Amino acid sequence: MKLMIQYVRKHLGMFLIAVLFLTIETFADLLQPTFMSFIVDKGVKNQEIGTILRYGLIMLGITAMGAVGAVVRNIYASKTSQLIGKEIRLAIYEKVQTLSYENIDRLQPASIITRITNDVTQMQNFINGIMRIMLKAPVTCIGAVVLIIVQMPSLLPLMLVILVCAGLLIYGNMRLGYPRFDRMQKKLDGLNLVSREFLSAIRVVKAFRAEEQEQEKFRESSRQLADAGISSMRVMAVFGPLINLTVNAGIVVMLWLSGRELTGEIGRLMACVNYMTQVLFALGMVSNILNSAVRAVASSARVQEILDEVPAQQDAGEQKAEITGSREIQEQQESRLSGEIAFRQVSFAYAGTARPAVCEADFTVREGETVGIIGPTGSGKTTLVNLVPRFYDAAQGQVLVGGQDVPRIPMAQLRQQIAVVPQKALLFTGTIEENLRWGDKQATQEEIRRAADAACAEDFVAKLPEGYETMLGQGGVNLSGGQKQRLSIARALLKKPRILILDDCTSALDATTEARVLQGIRRESAGMTVLLVSQRIATVMKADHILCMEDGRVYGFGTHEELLAECETYQAIYRSQIGAEEAETEEPEASQVAAADHSRWEGGVLHG
Amino acid sequence: MDKNMATPPSQLGRARGVPAVKPKDMKGTLIRLWQLTRGHRKGLGWILLLSGLASGSAILSPYLIGRVVNGIDSGDPFMGLLMILAALYLGDWLIRFLQQFLMAGVGQRMILHIRTGLFAHMEKLPLSFFDTRQHGELMSRLTNDVDNISTTISDSLTQLLMYGFTITGIFCVMVWMSPMLTIIALFAVLLIFLLTRAVTKRTKVLFRQQQTILGQLNGQVEESISGISMVKAFGQEQEMIAKFVEENDAFCRVATKAQIASGYLMPMMNVINNLTYVLIAIASGVMALQGRLTVGEISSFLLYSRQFSRPFVEIANIYNNFQTAVAGAERIIEILDEACEPEDVPGAISAAEIRGAVSFRDVTFGYRPDKPILRHINLEIPAGTRVAVVGPTGSGKTTLINLLTRFYDVQEGAILLDGHDLREYRLGELRQAFGVVLQDTALFAASVRENIGYGRENVSQEEIETAARTAGADGFIRRLPQGYETLLHQGGVELSQGERQLLTIARAVLNRAPIMILDEATSSVDTVTEQHIRQAMLTITEGRTSFIIAHRLSTIRDSDLILLIRDGQIAEQGTHQQLMALNGEYAEMYLTQMGKM
Repeated sequence: MKLMIQYVRKHLGMFLIAVLFLTIETFADLLQPTFMSFIVDKGVKNQEIGTILRYGLIMLGITAMGAVGAVVRNIYASKTSQLIGKEIRLAIYEKVQTLSYENIDRLQPASIITRITNDVTQMQNFINGIMRIMLKAPVTCIGAVVLIIVQMPSLLPLMLVILVCAGLLIYGNMRLGYPRFDRMQKKLDGLNLVSREFLSAIRVVKAFRAEEQEQEKFRESSRQLADAGISSMRVMAVFGPLINLTVNAGIVVMLWLSGRELTGEIGRLMACVNYMTQVLFALGMVSNILNSAVRAVASSARVQEILDEVPAQQDAGEQKAEITGSREIQEQQESRLSGEIAFRQVSFAYAGTARPAVCEADFTVREGETVGIIGPTGSGKTTLVNLVPRFYDAAQGQVLVGGQDVPRIPMAQLRQQIAVVPQKALLFTGTIEENLRWGDKQATQEEIRRAADAACAEDFVAKLPEGYETMLGQGGVNLSGGQKQRLSIARALLKKPRILILDDCTSALDATTEARVLQGIRRESAGMTVLLVSQRIATVMKADHILCMEDGRVYGFGTHEELLAECETYQAIYRSQIGAEEAETEEPEASQVAAADHSRWEGGVLHG
Repeated sequence: MDKNMATPPSQLGRARGVPAVKPKDMKGTLIRLWQLTRGHRKGLGWILLLSGLASGSAILSPYLIGRVVNGIDSGDPFMGLLMILAALYLGDWLIRFLQQFLMAGVGQRMILHIRTGLFAHMEKLPLSFFDTRQHGELMSRLTNDVDNISTTISDSLTQLLMYGFTITGIFCVMVWMSPMLTIIALFAVLLIFLLTRAVTKRTKVLFRQQQTILGQLNGQVEESISGISMVKAFGQEQEMIAKFVEENDAFCRVATKAQIASGYLMPMMNVINNLTYVLIAIASGVMALQGRLTVGEISSFLLYSRQFSRPFVEIANIYNNFQTAVAGAERIIEILDEACEPEDVPGAISAAEIRGAVSFRDVTFGYRPDKPILRHINLEIPAGTRVAVVGPTGSGKTTLINLLTRFYDVQEGAILLDGHDLREYRLGELRQAFGVVLQDTALFAASVRENIGYGRENVSQEEIETAARTAGADGFIRRLPQGYETLLHQGGVELSQGERQLLTIARAVLNRAPIMILDEATSSVDTVTEQHIRQAMLTITEGRTSFIIAHRLSTIRDSDLILLIRDGQIAEQGTHQQLMALNGEYAEMYLTQMGKM
């Protein structure tokens, strides 16, 4: 709610214009019965056709004024609400771009997306509604009551009684209705959860013959939702007709009172009855208002939650800018960092988990070296490399790039020097070329080709009818997983970073292509520091050094031979993937092949 | 097609006044709906009757008020009339209250009935149904469409009924009182009709544009937020914001236009109403002057004129909503008309005592009949064989399993289990004969214990722990905050992929099925853990037939039979040693994976 007020205040001018013209429009409605009473009391009573026509013309004028009011109000209300919607959307979007991973993990991307789309639309509709009907209802109500009292001052006590009664009923309606609607919303979320689970687990449900069980769960959820629905509808059923009855009773009492003490002018009474029906319509809108208010307030709270989110990380660039001015930053950004990476007793745990994902990691990677990182699933490999470009910040210890503590390097400068190829290739709507140019906006065609070629993407891109101009759908849906991975590698290579992080990025490629891609990367990454994460021992075997992890701890750091000799974890992985047959199999052919191969990689093909 | 990704529900924000989706066969759908709600319509008759009665107050009260006004004006007694009016209002209150109160119950119960019926039917549908549809879409049928049916259809039905009576009633009374003034009132209706047509013609185009741009905007948001890691890694934040601003502005422009255009409808109707009011005021004034109308009648007429045109406005609106709801009902009926999994043949055999001998006889199958995935597969697998299936992605490995568990039925040939065609068994028992571990780890928002015991009743804690121990899951479960009682949220996001996989393996172990199937179950587990699982599987599969699909060839070397599938056919088969000696595709794949090529 606070949020909506804040934005309405920002566009107060337009909002007030809309409200002003809404008032004009409402008054045009309200004035009609009064002039009608003049027609009856002055025209009909006095048998003056001229008077009737004169007041008729005035009424037409008022109608025209109302029409103008309606047009202007409509334009301003639409413009204001759409503008506010647009600005809130942008505010969330910009905010999200400044948040760190930690924030986004907690908020969850899917939830952020619905907030930008659905929730903002709810708020926008509500704000528009305020300028459309919600203000009209109370204005009509109050205006009608005032005019009734002007027409027949003796009705003042009656009107006060009606207003108090109606007010109490509306209050009761809100008081009882709001929590029930809220509960209904929660039950609906519950039902959604059950059906989503069922749909994504359909194979398991069928394989385990758990249909009965799932149906019971669903039925229970549906029943709860139905109960919540019945209870909130019944509140409306009690209060809605009661409000009607109050106003109608007012009409009866009004007729009775004026019959007893009629002061001559029947037209006034007619006007008052007309006003009462207008009050009736206005109060009828209350339930609509309640409904959309419940939703808008909930949406507003969800949006506010994002806007209130404090980025978990501070950018050194901004910090320094505050202290020393931006000139120094400029200079610093131009200087390139060296590609040396050092971890000093680094520990890290994800928010909300007790178990550290990385524990006391301590090692140094020299500039230009390739380091393979291997370890079981969940051993912390990805987490470890994510600390380098500051996707997350170390909880303890220091991560140094080029000898500098990463939080002290301006974010833009740090990330400028690092290219990451993630496990899951992420591409964006646009042409293939546009996607690759993320790495380097000024890249020549030649450079783009070269990067694509190194990633073995050149072949399949060339086969596409429009080559590099091929449009990719959202997330690159029209490509296979392997194709996406290769483009994602090409994009990183085009950036020509100091530090290249390859996070198990060849998983969708078959072994032959993978070997070619790795060769291409090796060719292009000369001079770069490369962190190569993999589950496959064959992939990391050829690196300068290998880092072996388990349970977030570094269990070994050295060459393949060193680790094979000393590191138990590494030996276990090696045995599970390659060495087993030497230990177990007596099959002569196989061990011969293995032996022959040993000599091949010992012979210096290790690193190109 | 076998990737069970839940898609988020549709993000398209619905604007008010969007043109209705037209149903294809309104009459047929309504008849079906009528049949669907059989047995749950108790009270609906009363509600309809009450809706008809509710129009009584709208028709009679202005007339009575007019008579009272006349009485006051001329000094005649009017108390009797006033009492009748009061009684009418009281009756109106009672009718409205009863109608709404009953409606709440009947409506919600109908929703409940349709919803659970739809779900129960959905459960019986074959897997092909789920594989070819977006989950987000199915969810919106279970929620939005069902809600719409009941609330909109029942609401619109009662309202239409009420307004129909009101309009007819008021029209009769008006003609009876003054045909002349009735013509003025009808003139207003004509104006409203023309206005509505003019406005909707314009808004239709605008709303369509708005939906298109909204789609683009939502797409951009979805893409950039789910891909935020890369946006940040490549420092593209400003570019993304610029792109968003562009789309956001474009959307705002079109949406404003559309809203302004559609926003004219209601206030302009109001203006027309006022205009009629003025015209009736003038005309009735003149007529009263000529003595053709009493003051009371003017009063009645003015009240009528307001109530006469309002229903016309509403009816257009209601009809729109009604159409949209019927279109939703059509989508539900579409699902209900989907054929269920085939019934068991008469005299189906029990599959409770299966030994596990499997044979494929010239099996051909494709998800689309014109594109066969498996072609002429012939296989004899004696009971107790450990079978491994390997081959490139898309070669048909998972399809083989889908056929075996009868998630799909063969198109040609037959699969025999212990000498009987799969289709001769009772489907329920047949599925129980398989212990399945799938690539996607489907866990439920329940405790770890319940997840392992999924699909079974009365499982003891001991059995669960034994199963977990066999699967190698016991260790990490004990480290969880509440051990076996730890609640998993939304598919177990708090566990690592490997841990989730171990739980599903424990689940399959608990099932003690004669045939075990592991479909790439260990692909996301590290090789060391995989070895543990493999050890566990060796114990479990001891003496049982088992099928293992695996990417990593190192883990299936000790299988009794390795099948290499390529292009829907069995390219090579034999033991590891035999295939290595063959020096064909398997040997090549194996050596490449070992890093030796």
